[in-house]
Amino acid sequence: MRNRATATRIVIIVWLVAAIAGDVALALAPIPPGQASDLASNESFTIQLLAEIGWPIFSAVLAALFFTLVVNRLAPPTAEVSGDALRGNTRVQTTWIAATLVIVLSLAVYGTVALAIDQPGDGISNDSASLPMPTSTSQPLEVQVIAQQWWFTYRYPTYGGIETAQLVLPVNQKIQFHVTSLDVVHSFWFYALGVKADAVPLNDNVISATPTRIGTYRIQCAELCGLWHGNMADNTAMVVSPSQFAAWIQQETTIDAPIMKYLLPYSHTYEPSPAIYGS
Amino acid sequence: MDAVTTARPPMSTPPTLARRLNEWGLPLGVVGSVIGFIIGFAVGTHAIPYSFGEDNSLGSDPGILLGYALSVVGFLAGMGFLNYPIGRLLGARRPSEEDNAYMHGEGGGLRRYFRMTTDHKVIGLQYLVMILAFLFIGGLGAMFIRTELLTPSPTVATAQSYLTLVGLHSTLMIFMASAAIIGPFGNYFVPIMIGTRNMAFPRVEALTFWLLPPAGMILLSTVFLGGFTTGWTGYAPLADQNVLGMDSYLIAFALIGLSIGLSGINMIATILTKRAPGMPLSRMPIFVWSVLVTSFLGALAAPALIAAVLMEVFDRSYQTTFFVPAGGGSPYLWENLFWFFGHPEVYIFVVPAFGLVMEMLPVFTRRPLWGYRVAVGGMVGIGLLSFVVWQHHLFVSGLAPSLRPFYMFSTEMISVPTGIIYLVSLGTLWRARTRFTVPMLFIFGFFFNFLIGGFTGVFLSDVPSDFTLHASYFVQAHFHYTIMGGEVFALMAAIVYYLPKMTGRTMDTKLLRFQFWAVFITFNGTFISLISVGILGMPRRVISYAAYLQPLNISASIFAYGLGLSMALFLGILLWEVVIKPRVAASNPWESLGVEWQVPTPVPTFNFDRIPVAWSLPYDYDSGKPAADFGPAVPALSGA
Repeated sequence: MRNRATATRIVIIVWLVAAIAGDVALALAPIPPGQASDLASNESFTIQLLAEIGWPIFSAVLAALFFTLVVNRLAPPTAEVSGDALRGNTRVQTTWIAATLVIVLSLAVYGTVALAIDQPGDGISNDSASLPMPTSTSQPLEVQVIAQQWWFTYRYPTYGGIETAQLVLPVNQKIQFHVTSLDVVHSFWFYALGVKADAVPLNDNVISATPTRIGTYRIQCAELCGLWHGNMADNTAMVVSPSQFAAWIQQETTIDAPIMKYLLPYSHTYEPSPAIYGS
Repeated sequence: MDAVTTARPPMSTPPTLARRLNEWGLPLGVVGSVIGFIIGFAVGTHAIPYSFGEDNSLGSDPGILLGYALSVVGFLAGMGFLNYPIGRLLGARRPSEEDNAYMHGEGGGLRRYFRMTTDHKVIGLQYLVMILAFLFIGGLGAMFIRTELLTPSPTVATAQSYLTLVGLHSTLMIFMASAAIIGPFGNYFVPIMIGTRNMAFPRVEALTFWLLPPAGMILLSTVFLGGFTTGWTGYAPLADQNVLGMDSYLIAFALIGLSIGLSGINMIATILTKRAPGMPLSRMPIFVWSVLVTSFLGALAAPALIAAVLMEVFDRSYQTTFFVPAGGGSPYLWENLFWFFGHPEVYIFVVPAFGLVMEMLPVFTRRPLWGYRVAVGGMVGIGLLSFVVWQHHLFVSGLAPSLRPFYMFSTEMISVPTGIIYLVSLGTLWRARTRFTVPMLFIFGFFFNFLIGGFTGVFLSDVPSDFTLHASYFVQAHFHYTIMGGEVFALMAAIVYYLPKMTGRTMDTKLLRFQFWAVFITFNGTFISLISVGILGMPRRVISYAAYLQPLNISASIFAYGLGLSMALFLGILLWEVVIKPRVAASNPWESLGVEWQVPTPVPTFNFDRIPVAWSLPYDYDSGKPAADFGPAVPALSGA
């Protein structure tokens, strides 16, 4: 490394190699949260896109920092640096600001379009009617997630409003989760499906996803909800074939039969007991 | 306060009572706080009815809350904050020159650091000690957390103690970070940098400091009241369920909010009205600009926090239902108020760090700051945008989904002015023969860490990716990279840089270089492990986690122990070189052109004999011209 020009070339080449290698690695690596639902695939793609755009920029800034560190130790700064450049250079500043603006605006537009396509109808809903039994897999199946300190239960309104301690879902069927809480703020996080929705008392938080892979998954609470927040997780959530799902529903209906008359009628929110707040 | 050049009426016998009271301020303050607490607790418990049947054998919410509030009032009264107003109401004469000089700490020696003074330099050093105390105690909490997280199930902690320590670590660090740069360096150097003798409201400045020790003590007292389980975000309605320890958090945070707000107002008034002649805003050092922007953030955001805390106090004590849905309120109200404050708050952390780094770069590159105006524009842009991004903390809450695109856009936009800071810094470093002093090392660490922090922020600003990453350790690593990797590294750079001016001492370079590499490597090791753990699905604030995450957690914990030791080493070096075996420094060891380095060490009580006249920005390293005339032919009006 005997002069600035060589050093500059070396740094640029190293950066190009690192940027390309990083992007290739990102294209090939499994990206969280995975492909187990359409929502998760969309999120993985977004993460991958952001990483692939961001990594070359990130490594370029690092390379520039490294460049100033090392290369400036070599031959003394040449006289070709103009006096103006010492205090600023309008062209460089404008280019930088314009370039960053363009990148950010494109990301924002992409994000908005992606959101509009993938997540319509999500969020707090004031609609008290539940969905009818779906006649095709693209019509949503309504599943309610009830969070309380410190576990989740699930209700299936189209199957008689049975309440179960385990979440079982049919594969390739669009699911509309209605998340609510009985006491404090929790958050229903089904990592593999890419589903995360805060459970707020007296609020009905809607989020949809279509599971695409059969398997057993983990559900955990993602909002600090008191002492046993860390234990509010279960590893028994399953995505199964439609026939297995029907069999499981049958089983749960039988189990629930003697207690159905004691369960509150199905509704999108439930009034918390005043005793919940203790004080 | 600026008595030196203006004629005053002849002095009468100075009143000694006020001075005696001020001298004994700290013991009187402690006595006042005890008396205040007793009165408040008694009144709150017995005179005010409350109807929650809480299981609190230690007392009731109103009792504790009023007790804390009156103990703070008693403390401040004892310290002497009420002496001037009450004295004047009782007909005492105006303070004489000698009184003012005394209040300013003239001739007070070390004892003036333990009482209320109006000298911004004393207050700056008091802040520094308090910040380091918060950092140390909060850091101990972090060590405990990492020890517990070595195993996937509870081992050394109970659920209550774990969550309380999580809350204490985070809240203490928030307190620390909100004042880490502004407190010590803003207070100490802004008046000197703008060429004035004092702040616009010196007693308010003293108050902003003296609110911190009570806030810290009240927060720590939560361990005697059962702790609190909400973490530093204090979400209702979990906050309503908590036992008395929650009240400690609420009052302490309100005090900090008050301190931030008052400090903001004071700085704005000082910077806008007390600049030396010849210094329009376009000739202000970049650090002062960063303090100005930050002060607007603090003054405008802190009231939202105080309002939210007040509502929660009423929810807990008087069965109001601001945040209780069954009574018509909403937990979302707390979330929105809190994050409306919380987001500008994190820019309060980072913007002064940007200013400080850009202030130091010209000194070590011997170049003018490249793009001063663009840098100012960048910081103002960050300040403005920071008020319209807070919903990105609420993307999964279910709120207003139609607004998510807007907040995604605004959050992503904030990376543009932040990028300008990098542009200006790279421009200053470009083709410069950089002096690799210890502060310069920390500055490079700052740039590296904040780049990672900012990069991780991009994933959080985009709604779909946020659905997976929100409330996981990825977020945790993001803010540790920006706050600790950014602000705390800038803090360490600033301490090493400014120590010679503030205390006349310097620190051992070789040991500091070792310490820098230790803290840099252990910091990155810890938080890269935590980025990974977050991507793989570990939620925040959990005492138990999925077994497959244990190896990464062990890695994070081991690096974290190293990080704790490295930070303790910094503290140890500081204590040793400043207090135990002082190592004397030159007056301007970095050969800076800044105005603050042209005044002698120790800085005279009233900073300048004559108010300087500013000639230019203090970055003319190409010509070496001084930034100001310290002996102007015509004496300017003091403080004009």
